[in-house]
Amino acid sequence: MRILLDKFSKSFGNTKVIEAMDLEVGSGEMLALLGPSGCGKSTTLFAICGIHRPTSGRILFGERDVTSLPSQERNVGVVFQSYALYPHMTVEENIGFPLTVRRLPAGDIKKRVAEISALVHIDNLLGRRPAQLSGGQQQRVALARALIRRPDVLLLDEPLANLDAKLRLEMRSEIRRLQKETGITAILVTHDQVEAMSMCDRIAIMKEGEIVQIATPSEMYNDPRTAFVAGFLGNPPISFLKGKALSGAFVSGDGNFRLPLGSLRDIGDGRALTLGIRPEHFGPKGDLVIEGKVAFAETQGRENLYDVVLADGSVLRSIQPVRDDVKLGDCVRWNLSSEAAFVFAEDGRRL
Amino acid sequence: MRTSRTLGIVMIAPAAIMIFLFYLMPAILTGIFAMTNMSTATGISGGVFQVTQGAVNRLGPDMPELASGIAEPRFVIDEEGLAALEALKLKPGYAAELRGQHIGEVFASRREAERVIKALKDRPSTREVKQISDLFNRSVLNTRFETRDALIGNLEKLGFRLKPEEQDKVARETYTGWVWTTDNFKVIANSPDMAKIFLNTAFYVAVTLMLFNVSYALFLAVTTHYMPPATASIFRAVWLLPRITPVVIYVLMWKWLTWDNGFISMFMGQFGVPPKNYLLDNAYNAWFFVILINGFIGASMGMLVFSSAIKAIPQTHFHASEVDGASRWQQIRYIILPQLRWPILFVTCYQTLSLLASFNEILLSTRGGPGRATEVWSLAAYHTALNNYTGNLEYGLGAALALMLVIIGVILSLIYLRIFRYDTLISKPLIED
Amino acid sequence: MADKTQTSANFSSVPVMLLLTLVSLPLVLMYAYLFIDTISNSEAGSLIPNELTLEHWRFLWETRPGKASIWLVTLNTFIFAGSITAVILIVSSMAGYVLSRLNVPARGLLLAGVMVLHAFPSVTLIISIFIVLQYVGLYNSLIGVILVKAAIDMPLGIWLMKGFYDTVPWEIEMAGLVDGASRFTVWRRLVLPQIKPAIMALGLFSFLTGWSEFILPQVLAPGSQVQVLSVYLASLIADDNNFDFATFKAVGVFYVVPVLVLYVFFQKHLMNIYGGGTKG
Repeated sequence: MRILLDKFSKSFGNTKVIEAMDLEVGSGEMLALLGPSGCGKSTTLFAICGIHRPTSGRILFGERDVTSLPSQERNVGVVFQSYALYPHMTVEENIGFPLTVRRLPAGDIKKRVAEISALVHIDNLLGRRPAQLSGGQQQRVALARALIRRPDVLLLDEPLANLDAKLRLEMRSEIRRLQKETGITAILVTHDQVEAMSMCDRIAIMKEGEIVQIATPSEMYNDPRTAFVAGFLGNPPISFLKGKALSGAFVSGDGNFRLPLGSLRDIGDGRALTLGIRPEHFGPKGDLVIEGKVAFAETQGRENLYDVVLADGSVLRSIQPVRDDVKLGDCVRWNLSSEAAFVFAEDGRRL
Repeated sequence: MRTSRTLGIVMIAPAAIMIFLFYLMPAILTGIFAMTNMSTATGISGGVFQVTQGAVNRLGPDMPELASGIAEPRFVIDEEGLAALEALKLKPGYAAELRGQHIGEVFASRREAERVIKALKDRPSTREVKQISDLFNRSVLNTRFETRDALIGNLEKLGFRLKPEEQDKVARETYTGWVWTTDNFKVIANSPDMAKIFLNTAFYVAVTLMLFNVSYALFLAVTTHYMPPATASIFRAVWLLPRITPVVIYVLMWKWLTWDNGFISMFMGQFGVPPKNYLLDNAYNAWFFVILINGFIGASMGMLVFSSAIKAIPQTHFHASEVDGASRWQQIRYIILPQLRWPILFVTCYQTLSLLASFNEILLSTRGGPGRATEVWSLAAYHTALNNYTGNLEYGLGAALALMLVIIGVILSLIYLRIFRYDTLISKPLIED
Repeated sequence: MADKTQTSANFSSVPVMLLLTLVSLPLVLMYAYLFIDTISNSEAGSLIPNELTLEHWRFLWETRPGKASIWLVTLNTFIFAGSITAVILIVSSMAGYVLSRLNVPARGLLLAGVMVLHAFPSVTLIISIFIVLQYVGLYNSLIGVILVKAAIDMPLGIWLMKGFYDTVPWEIEMAGLVDGASRFTVWRRLVLPQIKPAIMALGLFSFLTGWSEFILPQVLAPGSQVQVLSVYLASLIADDNNFDFATFKAVGVFYVVPVLVLYVFFQKHLMNIYGGGTKG
């Protein structure tokens, strides 16, 4: 089912958290709301599931306007960050609760619980209580509870935040599998870009209550609209160089190096610019030579990570296949692929 | 918004109603009663007009004539009396002659009236004379009049002509119901008894609070802290007993300890000391035990509060201080006590109010005695309004005494709310529906 | 009290234990003799019993002229304490939830009001309560005094319940709502089960204070048909004609045993509440 937020605004008292936000999530799509904490992504999620009411604007599920409907009548499934399992109920009662409150016959509930728990692979745990489950199992119970009444939309609020690294990897693909199998429209709230990129069809990056960009993960990575987006995606993160425009080229702060860039042809001289270079675009290959000193070197097993300090003191990060000829303190002359560099205006807009 | 609001109002209604009926209304009524002179004598539901000997005495100084006049019986030969006489079916001549010869006559005493009756032609017997004279008795002394008009009307019939302001005064002095007055507060402000009770209360609260509710509680909390947990919880359980034990039994045990056939007397008897009632033989002993009785109860709260505060101090602080060479006393002085500042303030505030209001233990042990040596404010309110030897329960004065406590309580608790940052205790609901 | 804290090896606990034993002695002695004296006789002037006897327990099967039967009084006390417990639990578990969680107008003011009341010298209201009850005709009835006692303990109950509700995670309630449960169902099926320990503690506490209450029944319901144990015992003691400490103590033991049993079994629950502060 399609979800549409139309000019959605939310304030708490005098603090405006979100103003006139438009967002459309296609039917069967999984969308990530990605952003740093405090950007309003959880507020958006709470408004969609009806725990908060929008200050203004509309929320539509399909063609149905649910703006002022209470949560109980919205048919949404939510997986909370803490899972919010009911501690005094068994797994079976937990999963069956959404059906129990609708007064479905006990037999039907039992059948549906059996189905859904098989789907999330916890059918052997039905008699236990939440306290007797591991984090991953609790997560699956929460998923099963959210899915059992076939909601119009599945909302996931930082679902992986409380899991350890290995389980996180496992649950990532698990949630995606379930979403695909059930064909449900899903919204994932997260501050982890890896989660967002690996699990979702599209990502909406939020900052201070606004959506900065909505795109597929690869589009967003390769074509960020602002410096914020470019900085948020990618691990290790992108490096930024400060400088000026000078006759179709980027000139670093102290004028030490010059980078002719096609995209700068129409930019007036002297305009302050920021250059963003992803670590994989700075290394042995490329069309522009940059000289610097290795200030930090770290191996990650398959790859090595280097920080190179340039003459003006700014730092470029580089990631390369493992090599052992470069040491801390060495002077290096590495290349940069100029077509892969992003140029941002002073306000962060991509040029 | 609507659903949770409606549900909220429905769910809080029973509590609100109960608190209103049995808490707020009594508080307001206490204020109202404090402004009246209600007592057993006046009743609580209005009164009548009655010329009592007391009222006559009060009228004496200003209106001596009236006072002596209404104190005397009056006998009036009137139609009402004659009708009653006829109804008695004695000799018909009596009524006829009285109507013919004496109608309208007023006699200042029974003797004068009876002289006239005895002189009737039909010669009534002595018994009949008495019977007849009763019918014409129109005295107001000790007669009850339902309204003021009835009282004044009767007085006029008896020949007392009163000016309006005199009528007011008579009505006021003869009214037996309660009236509005601020006398209660004047009594409280001026009576030396009240001053004594005030000092008693201050002494009782201050000493119990400092010695037991704080100091002794602190002692218990600190000593149990330096014990293995199992032993500590036994001691804490023992010291919680006074609070958990019903007050009647608790005080009974103290009586057993202190009375002349009790433990102390018997124990001292072994050394030849004659038995006596240690609880009530003199004011010093009475105070000693009153404070002990209340202090043992009061210590438990502080003990628990302080114990949990000490438990909240990170163990590393203790370890570090010991490594740094602190003695036990220094550890208490520099590690424990500084952390207990707020709990001590809290217990002090809280228990001040509790002690001000408490009187069960004193009532059951010394009843405020010997004399009124251990009478405290709340007990005085109870004695004045609900239970005293003279039997005249002065609800109005008692309510005024109670009102002072209520006002002190409200003021103190408002201050405490400020001190203890009450506003941090309310959080906004996170669900908007 | 899950106690992982160890006493320090640097300080011996023996001196403090001795000290505390010494100061606790009078208290322990009083309680010990409370029990000893009810089943024994000792010679005049002696503290050591020389014979065992059950004569002090005669009151159980002999009703003194002019006094109510002990069993009626005990039944009254049970009704009194039990009803108070029920009323306080039901009313304050609802009101506490409202104050903790629901959007009601003037919530902060209500809460402040409850706190002021809680710190109120409530016993002083007894004078006007006495007059009010006489007026509405509930004087000398158990119902009247039950309602009054429950109302007086209500602020504490509400306050405690509010505190416990505050600890229930909001997510539980949010999950309940999106699962389709009404606000009432959420409270009844999801939140109430989380605060069972609090209900247990408050229930016990209310029962014990009800069981122990003296001044309210004494003033508001002194009649012998509605007498409770505290009033019964107090009148026994106040009666100058039958001065017999051993019998007083036997009645006292009869009265206090339920309290001690509950106390021993549920000490932990009660410590929480008494530590949190009560009146008196």
